[in-house]
Formats: sequence, structure tokens, C-alpha cells
Amino acid sequence: MNPVVAMILRRLGFGVLVLWAAYTLAFLLLYALPGDSVAAVLGGDLSTATQQEIDEIRHQYGFDQPLIVQYLTSLGDAVRGNLGTSYTTGQPVTAAIGQALPVTIELAAWSLLIAVPGGILVALAAVGARNPWLRNLLSGLPSVGVSLPTFWVGLLLLQFFSFRLGLIPAIGARGFAGVILPALTLSLPLGAMIAQVLLRSLTHEWTRQFVTTYRAAGLSRVRLLLSHALPPAGVSLLSIAGVVLGNVLGGAVIVETVFTRNGIGRLAETSVTGQDMPVVLGVVMLSALVFVVVNLVVDLLYPILDPRTRPVQESRS
Amino acid sequence: MPLPPRDRKPHFRWASLLALGFSTLLVLTGCGSSENAGSKHTSDSPVSGGTLRLAFDADPGCVDGQQAGQNVALNVTRQVTDSLTYQDPDSGELEPWLAESWDVNDDSTEFTFHLRDGVTFQDGTDFTAQSVKNNLRAIQDLGAKASLGSTYLTGLSDIRTPDDRTVTVDFDEPNAQFLQATSTMTLGFYSDATLAKSAEDRCGGDVVGTGPFRLAKYTPRQSVHLDRFDDYAWAPDSADHTGAAYLDAVDMSIVPEATVRNGSLASDQIDVDTVVQPQDEELLQASDYKILDRPNPGVVYNLILNESRPLFSDERVRKALTKSIDRDQLRALLSRYQEPATSLLARSTPDYQDVSDLLGHDPGGAAKLLDQAGWTMNHKTGLREKDGRTLSFTVKYWQSAPFLELVQQQLRESGIEMKLEQTTVANTEAARQSGEADAEFMNLTRSDPDVLRTVFDANGANRNRREPAQIDQDLDRSAGVKDPTERKKLVDDSVSALIEDAHSVPLVELSGVMATSPHVQGFRYEASSRFELYDTWLDDANGTTGPGSGPSSDAGSNSDSARGGTQ
Amino acid sequence: MTATEFSTRLEDPEEESVGTQGRGRRTTTTMLRLPFGLILSALVVLVVLAWAVLPSLFVTENPLLGDPDIRLSPPNAHHWFGTDHLGRDIFSRVVQGAGASLGTTAIAVLMSFVTGTFLGLVAGTAGRVVDTVLMRIVDVLQSVPSLLLSLAVVASLGSGPVNIAVAVAVASVPSFARLMRGEVLRWRNSLFIEAATMSGIRTPEILLRHVLPHAIGPVGALAAIEFGAAVLAISALSFLGFGTQPPDPEWGFLISEGRDYLASSWWMTVIPGLVIAGVVVSVNRIAHALQTERRPS
Repeated sequence: MNPVVAMILRRLGFGVLVLWAAYTLAFLLLYALPGDSVAAVLGGDLSTATQQEIDEIRHQYGFDQPLIVQYLTSLGDAVRGNLGTSYTTGQPVTAAIGQALPVTIELAAWSLLIAVPGGILVALAAVGARNPWLRNLLSGLPSVGVSLPTFWVGLLLLQFFSFRLGLIPAIGARGFAGVILPALTLSLPLGAMIAQVLLRSLTHEWTRQFVTTYRAAGLSRVRLLLSHALPPAGVSLLSIAGVVLGNVLGGAVIVETVFTRNGIGRLAETSVTGQDMPVVLGVVMLSALVFVVVNLVVDLLYPILDPRTRPVQESRS
Repeated sequence: MPLPPRDRKPHFRWASLLALGFSTLLVLTGCGSSENAGSKHTSDSPVSGGTLRLAFDADPGCVDGQQAGQNVALNVTRQVTDSLTYQDPDSGELEPWLAESWDVNDDSTEFTFHLRDGVTFQDGTDFTAQSVKNNLRAIQDLGAKASLGSTYLTGLSDIRTPDDRTVTVDFDEPNAQFLQATSTMTLGFYSDATLAKSAEDRCGGDVVGTGPFRLAKYTPRQSVHLDRFDDYAWAPDSADHTGAAYLDAVDMSIVPEATVRNGSLASDQIDVDTVVQPQDEELLQASDYKILDRPNPGVVYNLILNESRPLFSDERVRKALTKSIDRDQLRALLSRYQEPATSLLARSTPDYQDVSDLLGHDPGGAAKLLDQAGWTMNHKTGLREKDGRTLSFTVKYWQSAPFLELVQQQLRESGIEMKLEQTTVANTEAARQSGEADAEFMNLTRSDPDVLRTVFDANGANRNRREPAQIDQDLDRSAGVKDPTERKKLVDDSVSALIEDAHSVPLVELSGVMATSPHVQGFRYEASSRFELYDTWLDDANGTTGPGSGPSSDAGSNSDSARGGTQ
Repeated sequence: MTATEFSTRLEDPEEESVGTQGRGRRTTTTMLRLPFGLILSALVVLVVLAWAVLPSLFVTENPLLGDPDIRLSPPNAHHWFGTDHLGRDIFSRVVQGAGASLGTTAIAVLMSFVTGTFLGLVAGTAGRVVDTVLMRIVDVLQSVPSLLLSLAVVASLGSGPVNIAVAVAVASVPSFARLMRGEVLRWRNSLFIEAATMSGIRTPEILLRHVLPHAIGPVGALAAIEFGAAVLAISALSFLGFGTQPPDPEWGFLISEGRDYLASSWWMTVIPGLVIAGVVVSVNRIAHALQTERRPS
């Protein structure tokens, strides 16, 4: 068989394995330690359920089955694309995720659109700046960026722009104006992370023998940076693509909660608060899926972008 | 200041540069608002059209009025369904609505309603006596899922429909409260097609009522969208107009963060914030927003003590709780429109009576009672102890109630530890139902004193988990008695007894405080302090609505001037 | 909070130490030229640790007892950080909160340190099958963003300081496991370990005597990085309402309490946020210094 096809198949198989294991672990975590799911289903601040009604709900949601039966049933359903129904809203989990996904994708797209160029620019400037003081300042920025609590940054931006200046609408996932503050908030840690990784590999490339030689020969710093240091350093960004996207999802929990955007992150937060296990499980599976797909794509891109890597190399174990 | 590490400074320079960059960008792309509030015109006569955008602080969870128990949900369903009677928010009197008239027999066991002609559901089917019967039966069938409705229909024995326009409801026992209950959205009506749906589907928004607005779409955790029912022609007489509602549609967003609701109002993303925090009232008012308030009638925010727990089986401990609380001090944390409790019932409830003399702050008395009960002060911890156990109890709650922290502090001064655990509705409910909860923090809104029976009756919900006593006989009788003076006396006696025996510790009255943009007109509360949008109109409905027309620039300058002082 | 976790998530153990500073020689030298930053960081951490251990020496008022008459006062000579909605002194609450925040963080890091290191040690020394199974589990844990993983744990265990410590610990076990396994593999093939094996010393002994001492440096540096990340994670979970309950102060919870007052009383939100940021920046700076020291280039 063609080695590339074989590699793809092996990667796909591995991805499926990860998804299955993630499902199993999450299921054990969420269902083996039972909180009172019946209460989560009943909701309502005044319900006066009788034992019979509680039993009915128990039966309806399958809580009266042994754990292993619940697991196999739900795994079977999940394979067929049915992640169950939310305890609190009665909505199918896939529908809830489907509704929330575009909102998060919009947020993710805008934050990455800010974070990637921003992070690259800061890293380039930090290496390329002539003034040592400026260089210090710029190379210190990313570490500050990753140290700020995201929820706090979001609150301050919201207060400053939206309420105090009345400039930017606070809610409404409608277009650029609604997404800009959340995207800015989320892009700060993402951009800082990208800048950190890039800064490190750039510095590494920058101090290599041939670059220093060229520098001694008087080539322009900017030119050198862009033509000789950036391309090899840029490949290092690929290796963190999965992590960056994972962080978009993790960060979305905070950002979407602070800004009340109805995306995946807020869905996760509300379902954890409401102990809505099917939804929590669904979101966990979504993030695992994103991780698997992104890493698959990255693995396929590596050999194209960097001929030095061979498809047979197993970098992850 | 001891700490600010200086190595952060560069970032802030950078951040402000970034901020500056973005604001420039926004101005350039025209996303910012430039118009001023001053340019807005105000017309005096109502105009039709426009979409009202409002924000709730919580998810309604279920938008079927017959199942819902929470204010958010009831606020939605009030627009979608009508009731047999309409309760005047000022006088508390019942007026005709879907029923043109009604008769009640002497012992309040038989209620006959003569229905209005020509009422249809939003799907075009007729509203008839059979509809009333089907709906009341449906509520009974819902059982525990109809958390409020099932208590309103206690003892319902028969529903007769001699003809299309007449319906008679029979009860086994006197049930005087039922008449007021017919004015609530809880006993609102749905078409037969809706009743045939499953309870879950109805919760999810699959409902067709007779109200001025149709429930177009409910997206859980996000929004509710209503649009106008054009054929509507049966508003209660006290409404300002007849015919269909003014608004084309209503967009209701669920926005838990107060900061975001504020920002949305300021940047004209919403027209109404339905939950204004006390600390923002001044700011909003200074910026031309209208603040609307109405005290919620019914049972005030109170702590219901679980008397099946050893700690609260001792009446002296319960009484000490009430005496330890300085309700006047709580006022500092309340909205200016909100009052500390002066009874178990809020002052806007019919038959309310001020019993604040039973609710005085008496730390000395509390100390004496606790000493008698054997709880002695450990001066090291500042908490009282007995047999090696600390005087401590836990309250799980989900409401936004900062004053509870002050209550916590006040109790601590008497050596009582109240642990607060803010959690979800479901968790709170689970704890209560299990009987493990020491105490319950709750309120219940209803414009009828019978709400006491719903909450405290030891023969009913029995939230105190106590043995039935004289109080419960009074409560049960008050539900049936028709004579106003006799009923008031029974209510007064019950309230006094509940407070004196410290079955409940009343704290604070709930008050709905909402803010609307200046262009929102005719936005008002109904008798149980939920809003009604039938008469609401936008004075710029045909002008330029949308981003930029709000008074955002005013908000900016005024908030600056307000930030210096305490409130 | 999202970003620092990345440092714990890189695949190659050799890359674990990317940390929060650009690393190569150039940055190293620039950082070395700035010992002032390091000193300041150490100072910040020391002060905050002192707050955590002996809050009573620093608080100016009872952090749990407020005076409603002076509620929402801006920072002034008596109340350096202002007062909150109950009239409590925010400086005292921040000091008192250091114990809760750093304590929870320390528990989280300790738990993930012990579990992760142990797993890595086992994976690195035991046979292929055990190694594969353990590392696949670690892979799976890493496939879910750490905050989401923590949230899932919270959904299961419920809220509370100990539970969120467990939740954060679970999410950072993989990085310790990977690093430790990498260290074991690195030293396992080295000459002197081979020599030790040949001279008949048993594996556990080799591990204890030779591998562990070498691994302590990198694992310690990772622990420092994880500490900074965990401070942010804990405060985020507390902010979301899964941590402490009133009246106990915790930094993330202080911000959460303050957010509803942001329009009128900025200090309730801004100051605790600055404290968190300052601590995390300082811890990261120290972590970076630890890494630099362990690999003098």
C-alpha cells in the first residue's frame, strides 16, 4: 500500500480510538458518580414531585438501568450521531451543539484573525527591533499576555468600550460589531501563546551560524528575518495548532460567559452548572473531535511544508 | 500600596495603544454610535410597529405557562395566553377578560364563568367552554409538573359545560382563592392541538394561546421570539387600547451578566433590561433611562427553616435567628425601590398587614434564647457551641441576593454560622426535596394571600417539615372563606403565628426593577408584577431604530460623574 | 487563562520547557541583564506567600466583617483597595484570599505532580504494553482542552475548593507524565545507567538513585509553570462560581463579586485582577529562571 495512504489510515484509526476512549472516560466520569439527575430533569423551583413521578423520569432517561447497559446504549446511539437529550431543556444534544457551533466558529475565526498576525508581528518585532530596550519590552509582552485572567480582561473591555463609551454593542452575535470585543479578549492569550512559541524558534534560527554571518555581511534585518528565520520557525507553529484550537474552545467558556454569547463555551458552562450530563459529554466529545481532526490535518501538512519530516515518524508516543 | 508589580506596566501601555487603535478602527468603519439622544422626537399618540428587544437574566427553562414556576417564564407566557379574569394591578379587583361574568356559590365550591364570544386561538380554532375544561384537566394531568397550577386546583372535582359559552368548576371543599387564580397566566389557555403535545414539547415552545403575541420561537438558554397575533380583539377593559398589540414583535434575550445587560442598554442593543441591579439604577436614571418598579406581591424573600433537623426543632434557636437580623441595615444593599420585610407578605399583597413589631432587631434577646437552649459562646471562634457542635447551618440558593451576605454577617454576630452556597435551581430543589437542607431561601409571587397556604401548609407542601397545627387549619380555612373580613383575620393570624413561632424568617421584599430606553412607552406591570406588552409601543417605531439611536453618549459622561461617590 | 496551559501541552518532552518566556540564548541573555525583574518577581511571590501563610500579620480589618455605612468606598488611606458591597476592606480580603487561592493551587499542583510523575515513571520503566496504555490515556486527556476537562470533573464532583483543585489537577497530569517519562527514557539509555544495570542494581533502585535526581530539575521547573497556570485556572473556575462560597474570599471569586458593580465601583474588579496577573507573571518569571539555570547553554 502507498505509505501515505497507510499513514492516513493509521492516523484515522488512531483518531477513532482517541474518540472512543474520550467517550468512555467522560461517560465514566459523568455517570458513574451519580448526582441527582432526576432533580436536574425536573428543574423548576416549586416542583413537588411524587415518588412515582421520580421513578417515571428515572425510567424515561434510563437511570434505572445498570451502568454498563446505559454505557453501551449511549455509545451505540453516539456512533449513530445521537448524543441523547438535554436534561434541562429536553433538546437533542446534537441540536444544541449545532445551534451553538456557528457562534463559536465566528468567535474563533475572528480571534485567530487577530491573534495569528498579532502574535507573529510581536514575535518578529521582538527579534528584529534594533533598540535593545524595545526588544526587551516586546519579548516580555507575550508572557504578560498569557498571565492575565481572560475573564478579567473581558470584563474591563466590556465595561470600557460598551458601557462607558457606548461604542460597541455588548450582545447579539450579529456581524463584526458584536464579535469584536469577545474576539479581542480571546485573541490576547492566543496571540501571546503564538508569539511565545514563535519567538522561541525565531530566536533559535536567528542565532544560527549562517544568519549571523549574513548579518555580519550587512543584509537587512527585516529581509533576513522574513526570508531566512520566519519560514523554518513558522513550522513550529503548526505543532501547536491543535493546542491553539483547543484553547479557543477552552477560552470560549470564559469569553462567551462574560459576553453572553450563545456558543459552545457558554453551553458548556450552563450545562455544568445545571449538571446536564448529556450536554457536557457532547461538548467534551466535540472538543476531542476538533483535536483529532486538527492533528490529522497537521500531520498531513507537515511533510508538505517541511520535507525533513517523514510520514513514518511517530512523534506522539 | 504594597504590591503592584512594576513589570506589568509595559502591557498596559500596549493595551491602551491597542484600545486606541480599535476605537479608531471602529469610528472609521462606522460601527460606533454618533447620534445623540437629544435628537430624538417623542410622539404622544401610540404608533404600531417595531420590535421590542428586552433582556432577561435567566433562562425561562420552560415556556409553557401551565408548567412554569419562575418569573422569567411567567413573563413570557403572560404575553401568549389570556386568562378568564384580569386583576387590576392597582385595586386588586378582578375584571372580565375571557369571561364576561362569573358567579360563585356561597361556600366557594362552585364557580360558573360566562365566556366572551368570538375569542379564537392563534391557530384559528375557537375558544369555548370545552377549551376551559380541557385546559384545567390538562393542568391536573400534569401533576407535579404544573408546580403552581396544581395547588390552585386543589380539590377540583368536576367541570361542567352546559353550553359553548358557559363553564362551571366544582370543588370538594371551599376554594375562594380559585377566582384570583383564574387571573394568573398559570391558568392561561392553549388550543387543543397544544394540549395534545407532550409536556416537553410545550416547554420547548410548541404552544398556541389566545394572547396578543404568538410564541414564534424559544431557543433554550438564548432567546424567545414573539410576534403579534393580528386578530387579537379581546383585551381586558382596563387596557389602553383595543385590537391587536402595537408591537410587531418582541425579541427576548437571555443575558445573565448584569454588566452585559447594562452595556447592551447603553449601546442600544436592547430596549428593556428586566433585571436592574440596585447599584446601576442611579447611573441609568441619570442617563435618561426610565426605571420601572413594582414590589412583587406574595411571600417575601424569607428563610424557611427545616424543623425536622435537630437544630431547628428547637423553637428558641429559630426565634434567635429572627431576633439577630437587623432588617433596617439590610436596606443599604437594596434597591431604593425595595424594602426590608415588614411581614411574611409583601405590602403589595391584598390583606397585607404590617407586623414589623414582631421583626425587631434584638441581639440581647437572641443571646438569652440561645443561652437557654444550651448554645454557649466560644469566644475564640465567635460561634456558639453545644455538646461540641457548632451552631451552624447551610443555605443553598440560586437567586441573586447580595443581602444574604449581610444576613450572614449579622447572624455571625450572634454566634450563628450561616453557610451560603449559591448554586442552581435544580440543586437547590434537590436539597429541599431530600429533606437534607437546613433552611430554604425563597419567595413566591402571587397577588393573593392564599400564597401562604401554597408555601407553608403542613398538610400540603410542608416546607417546614413540621407537624400540622392550628396555623394550618387557619390557612386551609382562609383558602375557602369568602367573607373578606373573616379571611383577612385568618390571614393575619396565620402570618403572626408563622413569624412568632419562627417557622419562617422574613427578610426582604422582592421588587421588580426594570429599565427601559426613553423611546419605550406603555411598558407596565400586571397585578403579580410581571410585565405586559399589549399596550407597549415604540415612539420611534417608524423612525430610525437600530444601533446608534440610543442615548449612549449620555451614558458615558454620566457614568463618569457617578463613579466617585458611594451609593 | 487559556494560554498558559499550552506550555503544559506540547508533545515533545524536550519542548516542555518553552514556558512563558521565549527561550533561546538571546532572550536568556536579555533576561539575565534584567535581574531586577527576577528580584521583583521573587519579592511579589514572597509577599503573597506571606499573606497566604500569616494573613493576620497583614490584614488591616476583619476581612469577613463589613460596615454597610462605608460600602463601595473607593481606595483611600484607610482602605488601600477600597471597600466592597458590604463595606468590607478589599485589601484585607485580597490578603485573606491569598490563602484560599494559593492553597487550592498548591493542592492542585501537588496532586498532578505526584500522579503525573508516578505515571510517567511507570510508563517509562514498565514494558511496552503498560507504556502504550498509559500514554494513550494521557493522549485522550490531552485531546480535551484543560478548562473543559476541569469543567467535566466539576460537573461530576460538584463545586467547592477541593473539587476544583482535583479538576485542575486532572487536567495537568498529562504534562507531568510526559515530562517524567521523557526523562526516564533519556536517562535509561545513558551510559552510566547501563553501567549500573550491568553491575546488577535493580530497576527500582536505579530509578530512585539515578533517574529521579536528574529529573527533579525539569519536573520542578514544570511544577513552577504549572503553578502559574493553575492560579489562573482556579481563579477562572472560581469566577464561574464553582469554587469558594461567601463570605470566604478567593481572588477569582472577588472578581466575580465585583463584576456586577463594575459600572460604579471599578476597584472591586480591577484590583484583584491585577493581583492575580502580578502573581502569575512573577511565578512564570521565576519558572523561566529555573529552566535557564538548569540548562546553562
